[in-house]
Amino acid sequence: MSDHNDDHHDHHNPGFIQKYIFSTDHKIIGIQYGITALLFLLFGFYLMMVMRWSIAYPTEPLPSWMSWLFTEDWKAQWLEEGKLPGETYNMFGAMHGTIMVFLGIVPLGFGAFGNYVTPLQIGAPDMAFPKLNMASYWIYVIGGLMMCGSFFLESGAAKSGWTNYPPLSFFADSQYPHQFWTGQTQWLMGLVMLISSSLLGSVNFITTIINLRAKGLTWMRMPFFVWAMLVTGFLLLLAFPPLEVAGIMQVVDRMFGSSFFQPSGLYHQQIGLSDASGGGSPLLYQHLFWFLGHPEVYVLLLPAIACVAEIIPANTRRPIWGYKSMVYGVLVLGFLSFIVWAHHMYMTGMGPAISAFFQTTTTLISIPSVILLTCLLISLWGGSIKFTPPMMWACAFLPMFGIGGLTGLPLAFNLVDLHLHDTYYVIGHFHYVVAPGILFGFFAGIHHWFPKMTGRYMSRTLNHLHFWPSLILMNTLFFPMLIQGMAGFHRRWYNGGDAYLDADPESVNVFGRTVAEHIDLNVMMSWSAWLLCAAQIPFVINLFTSIKFGRKTNSDNPWNACSLEWATPTPPGHGNFIEEPVCYRGSYEYARPEVDEDFYPQWKKPVENKTKED
Amino acid sequence: MEIPYIVEPRKDTGLNNSKIAIWLFLASEVMLFGGLFSGYIFLRIYADYPWPERTLPVLPGLINTFILIASSITVVFAWVALKLGNWRKFQIHMSITLACAALFMVFKAVEYKAKLEHQAIRLDDYTVIEGHAYPQVKGGDKKITKNLNIKASQVQIDLKRIDDIYYETMGAQYEGKFTLADRLELNSGTVFEKDTEISKSMIDAAKEDLIKALANNSNINIAVARQASSDAGDQPHLKGKRYYDKDRKDFIAKRTKELKTAEKDNYADVTESLTFKSKEGKVDISVNPRWGKLSNSKEGEDGTLKLKDETLISGTTANSSIEIHVDGIDFRHTVMKAVEKGIDPEAAINNSWLLKDAGMKLIWDKHLVSVAKLEESLVGTDHVPTDVELYRVNWQEIAGLEKHSIADLKGMTHSEIKKLFPGDIEGFAGPNHGKVTYPAITVPREQVRFEAVFSPRWNTYYATYFTITGLHGLHIIGGALVLGYYLFFGRKMFDSNPEWLANRVEVGGLFWHFVDLVWIFLFPILYLM
Repeated sequence: MSDHNDDHHDHHNPGFIQKYIFSTDHKIIGIQYGITALLFLLFGFYLMMVMRWSIAYPTEPLPSWMSWLFTEDWKAQWLEEGKLPGETYNMFGAMHGTIMVFLGIVPLGFGAFGNYVTPLQIGAPDMAFPKLNMASYWIYVIGGLMMCGSFFLESGAAKSGWTNYPPLSFFADSQYPHQFWTGQTQWLMGLVMLISSSLLGSVNFITTIINLRAKGLTWMRMPFFVWAMLVTGFLLLLAFPPLEVAGIMQVVDRMFGSSFFQPSGLYHQQIGLSDASGGGSPLLYQHLFWFLGHPEVYVLLLPAIACVAEIIPANTRRPIWGYKSMVYGVLVLGFLSFIVWAHHMYMTGMGPAISAFFQTTTTLISIPSVILLTCLLISLWGGSIKFTPPMMWACAFLPMFGIGGLTGLPLAFNLVDLHLHDTYYVIGHFHYVVAPGILFGFFAGIHHWFPKMTGRYMSRTLNHLHFWPSLILMNTLFFPMLIQGMAGFHRRWYNGGDAYLDADPESVNVFGRTVAEHIDLNVMMSWSAWLLCAAQIPFVINLFTSIKFGRKTNSDNPWNACSLEWATPTPPGHGNFIEEPVCYRGSYEYARPEVDEDFYPQWKKPVENKTKED
Repeated sequence: MEIPYIVEPRKDTGLNNSKIAIWLFLASEVMLFGGLFSGYIFLRIYADYPWPERTLPVLPGLINTFILIASSITVVFAWVALKLGNWRKFQIHMSITLACAALFMVFKAVEYKAKLEHQAIRLDDYTVIEGHAYPQVKGGDKKITKNLNIKASQVQIDLKRIDDIYYETMGAQYEGKFTLADRLELNSGTVFEKDTEISKSMIDAAKEDLIKALANNSNINIAVARQASSDAGDQPHLKGKRYYDKDRKDFIAKRTKELKTAEKDNYADVTESLTFKSKEGKVDISVNPRWGKLSNSKEGEDGTLKLKDETLISGTTANSSIEIHVDGIDFRHTVMKAVEKGIDPEAAINNSWLLKDAGMKLIWDKHLVSVAKLEESLVGTDHVPTDVELYRVNWQEIAGLEKHSIADLKGMTHSEIKKLFPGDIEGFAGPNHGKVTYPAITVPREQVRFEAVFSPRWNTYYATYFTITGLHGLHIIGGALVLGYYLFFGRKMFDSNPEWLANRVEVGGLFWHFVDLVWIFLFPILYLM
């Protein structure tokens, strides 16, 4: 553990590979995380677009602009006359979820923003363990490639949902003799890799935040961003190991034939009676999975809120409202997130007593979440709002995340969940949280810190072309899901409800009639999804062209913000700060009477007496 | 700027970086092993089969406990030596620590080996017998006799699903003995006449041809479907109709049929499976029991053997029995099932298939005497015999009572009988088949409900045992590698910055203590409870 910090002999002219590929600099690693995560997000998006075709047009073959990525052999094996059969749809669904959550959002939030911004904001020269930091990035890449590479295995990629519930996942791919080279096993091994990566990362983050804060940066002067990262670090540190255990146990089940998660007398229509000893418990897996799964939601969310909490004060030119309540809120949130996991399991028959307990804690956890959102909302009140690109995204984040959060409340209640469980309502709810919520927060963050990374702003025009279509299409994509979900559309229908459809108004098949009323929403949602992809093109162009051709910033602190990352040169060199930064005040000291400007940076020496005399 | 607090502690936290990091890391390790232990508790509480209590030989575990404790002490000595600037002493103590780690792994390996050689069978009536499933001759052929056997007259290969590994392993049994049942003409023009001998190259060619044919047909179908749907779009009366509209559906079905007929000549022939017949008589085929399933396990009847890749071998089932030297009999599961069904447990045991064998019956009758003596000895106390004592005959009992007749035993007291049992040294890692000849029994395949060695496969107890101790072993290896690195490559740092090296050893030592602590939890939970 300790042998990762001997950076003593760092020569100052490292070669290209050492500087950009196997870098130990937190800024480069952050950017590596960011680019890798964005690529994975794009891939996950692509899988979803293919799925949406099957939902909207289940009887028609995939259009060629969608299937050009597949090889002929792959099509022969996994498509049925050009259409997506259920098994392939499941594979795409499972991988879409996994990629988006584990390979996209977590690395983008915690890995990219956390790595780039945290050490700068606390005035540290780097992370506490730079080599460990590099190791965690590369382990993440290997894990991700293992998972995605399994598309090319004979068995195909994992196909049992992103939750990988046994016994479904136990039977999937069980006919292959080389269990190691199956999508299911690769998924588990990849997951174990990703968890190990996150664990190394979280140890590094927490140590850095505790020990490497600059002189004068006391706990309550820390930017909210750093607090959020600290809590995220603890969530990863403590919630991920149980999933690692579950992953290892499933690997043992698959490769050594044990029955941790196989009940006695397990029977499969094609395989017959399972040749396992039995006596295990599928419920155990669900407990272990969701013990991670719920804190994971906050691992996704907190970095996004953290970005927004930095951007709002800088663009309203007033301190963030209720800094302390936000800090305590996020700590309580972190704690509570460990005791709400079984609200994902109301339908497993745990019994009313346990359900009631988790129902209570789940409703409790909405309180700190609402505190965070409310503080951010009130921060807008009376501010002189500047609608810069990051601020536009931040402003869109607030209502979008609000919808995501509020639609979650009904799901917390046992009785309501009976109806909504596993319907599109659930999909709509968490996609509102993750896509227009968290992703918008990250877009805000990219626009906000891009000038620090490159010394140039990102283009406003391209941002408008990216922002407005994204905002509208996200809503036309996800809002109908809530409606369909309440009508009873199941989340795993690969043909969008075609099999249940009964358009005859006189039919006795009542559910079929309900399906008929709502099935046409599929077309609108699918087209929204495809157009949404097109709407990301301006962003990609913006991201890459602005590095070279963006408008230059005129200072190291282009947004006139107060936190320490703006005290560094642009872009920050190795070691970040030219001289050791000293912190004199909190990080949101906007519009102070002591100084002429409307901001009073943390690193500026106090000038109170002089200003009074003047 | 350089990274601060690598060696000296930060004033307000009082800790250096690596100290914080190791405690955080240990916290996550606590969650890791906590998860495993919770899983163990959960599985044990909800087990629907009798839990194997105290089945592991205690001695190796106990010795390992002391080894690890000793190494935890020496690692502290090594750290102290570094703090005092004594490199020689550091070397000695660290070497002892590493030697302890190696010794620990040796004992672990001995234990693992004994488990993996030990067969267990759950019979159809839930009787469990344990023992060694290979001939007991010392130094003899230790090949495990568990394969599924069939006298085959036909092999049918599913070309879509065939897996190379099965053919590579099984192929030698087919080749030269099976020939093609029907003439096979591939789309590529290659022809295999009837009665061509089975070969990998033929199967590969047919498989390649099948994939090409499927791709070709699928491409035509895609084009047809696209054409049909665009034609439907051109129909004025179908404008704006969705795919599920009846008129549109009918139109598309009709149009698809027309288009497919037009393309009739372009479709390739699809051969999905190849059938091979035996050249003369029936051919003996022997298969790893993990790779296939017999449709009928009774010897001498018609049946099929289906491999996991859907290869279907049909013929007459042959002798697939398992010969086992029994060193343990367990009726607890039988009793549990009998109680569930409301049958008298005694009757269930007496009617069991196992007790039809005279040798097994003798063992059981001796056990009944020994139980009677135990009950006698418990008279006047609050204790009653446990299920394990009542329904399980372990290897100590079989070995100890082997040379004594029932009449002898009836004349002894409970404690005298107990004294006949061999001690822990003789069965250091389990029953010693070299020393005692355990009675053999041949179990026909139809009596076998489930069989495995004492591996994770056998039950969730062994699965937990192997998973937790395996992970713990990996921690030992990892810790030893880190400590070994300090020992073998630490001299340079000792000369330049001894305090830093001492810090590292301290952190490594903390990890080492944690690994020790995990074992201290593991030992009672797995060996004693």
